[in-house]
Amino acid sequence: MYRRMQTLISEGTRYREKITPYLFIAPALIGLVLFRLYPILNSFISSFQAVGFGANAGKIRWVGLGNYNFIVSDPVFWQSFKTTMLFVFIITPFEITLSFILALMVSRRFPGVDFFRTSFFMPVTVSLAVASAIWGLMLNPNNGFVNSFIAIFGIKPQPFLTSKNQALFSIISIVTWREAGYWMIFLIAGLHNVSQELYESARMDGAGAFRIFSDITIPLMRRTILFVFVADTSSKFLMFVPMYILTSGGPENSTNVLMFEAYRTIFIYGDRGGGNAIVMIILMVCIVTIALQFKLFKSSQ
Amino acid sequence: MKKNSYFWWIYLPLLIYFLFAIGPMVWVVVSSFQTDDQIFSHLMPFSFRAFIPENPVLNAYQKIFLEKNFGRALYNSLIVTITTLIAGLFLNSMCAFGFAAFKFKGRNILFLGTLITFMIPFGSIALPLYLVVNNFGWINTYWALIIPGLSNGLTIFLFRQFFLDIPRDYIDAARVDGAPWFSIYLLLYMRMSIPIIISAGLIIFLFQWESFMWPLIVARSSAMKVIQVAIADFSQEGQVLWSEIFAASAVAMLIPIAIVLPLQRFYIQGITSSGIKG
Repeated sequence: MYRRMQTLISEGTRYREKITPYLFIAPALIGLVLFRLYPILNSFISSFQAVGFGANAGKIRWVGLGNYNFIVSDPVFWQSFKTTMLFVFIITPFEITLSFILALMVSRRFPGVDFFRTSFFMPVTVSLAVASAIWGLMLNPNNGFVNSFIAIFGIKPQPFLTSKNQALFSIISIVTWREAGYWMIFLIAGLHNVSQELYESARMDGAGAFRIFSDITIPLMRRTILFVFVADTSSKFLMFVPMYILTSGGPENSTNVLMFEAYRTIFIYGDRGGGNAIVMIILMVCIVTIALQFKLFKSSQ
Repeated sequence: MKKNSYFWWIYLPLLIYFLFAIGPMVWVVVSSFQTDDQIFSHLMPFSFRAFIPENPVLNAYQKIFLEKNFGRALYNSLIVTITTLIAGLFLNSMCAFGFAAFKFKGRNILFLGTLITFMIPFGSIALPLYLVVNNFGWINTYWALIIPGLSNGLTIFLFRQFFLDIPRDYIDAARVDGAPWFSIYLLLYMRMSIPIIISAGLIIFLFQWESFMWPLIVARSSAMKVIQVAIADFSQEGQVLWSEIFAASAVAMLIPIAIVLPLQRFYIQGITSSGIKG
């Protein structure tokens, strides 16, 4: 009897020991499954479905590639696709080049470096919504800050967000203002990982600043640069806030990126299947772009 | 003479970018204490007095807080952010402890799954997530704003990384003394993890304070609106004065600055270690 109780107890503790790790990880993992994995799968599945209307209201039926076919035949989608590509492929190199220059400027030690580094980083703490609201007023064509400032140099007032030729570039500048300091941080960390001895010996060999930069700094920072490119690209494919706040995709759809189009399709036109199909297309294009970046960095080794 | 030109080579570009980065923020804060007439009088024609508050007034702040319900939006944002911060730190560090302290069946595959979730951009799931939250009946409640953002693969990753560096001997000694696992986690591990708690806390704080698309979708009512959505609404309404938008933006801007700036070292450590190891 006593012995049986003993084994029962030890079995009990063994069982407790066994489930303890699961108790620790379960709460967070349930959240991840419910609010991350399930939605993405759901989004994938419902991109092959259509929700009925009229007599069939609310009825879900399978339409195969119907949503995709419909989207691909829509010229608005293709324009939106082009806008997204233009946006991503201009803003990413632009932002990262600027961040790199900033990082190079403040990665050495000199009087005041901490002050400058902090101030370059400051816009990162401004949310994209607030940055959009502020810059919307700064870029106001009638009495905005920027037009009145450039008037000092004799430049005529510009339409900025109200022109279909300038709106996308205005948004690119706004986002860059906010985010250049963010990528700068990663690049500074990367620069600090390059050993100083390498620089010393290169300088001893008489290499110039440009040679050192292209032959030592860039190759040794390959990993950091790749990371920054990949992270930046994926965040830009899904950019939504400035378009929502500033232009609503206009003027003449010139800032109607795919994410905004997906939002409109679901929440304004009420076409869930179509919107999810657009989201899936964004993700696919994003993954392909990132894969290409990996390949490019590999082959340049 | 040569020294002088060298000086300008270094400092002039820095100074120019400094003005570009900080100028708009200063202008916003200064303008929030002005009337619209004062703001425009310094813009047409442009004068550097736009950066100097003269005869500061609180009109804009009075207007947004007393008439435009901005206090409610600020309150909502604070509630949501602070709750997410505390609950998120707890939940994710516990999960990380589970991954770091135990060997168990399925550990690697579950951790890999966790890593994958943090590569799913939130924007891509916001739309289907709406349906999930709608099924729970959470639209226009704090639940919708808080619960989906709690579990965070990045935070789990950061904590696990930190926990793995804590020598295993601590656990063994505590186990010999008969300490339960939960006290080992809370009293031993968490107490040694203050730097990572601050780093992860700042990341969670900024993420939640700045989130826009999600609150826009699930909390649109005037009682549940968060600060970012309120500002977007201000800037889209034709009736709102510039000074009011600036006052609202100044509040939304200065709170994270006041928190992140003194702790920026931790924030920077947090994001860079996620990037370089990840």
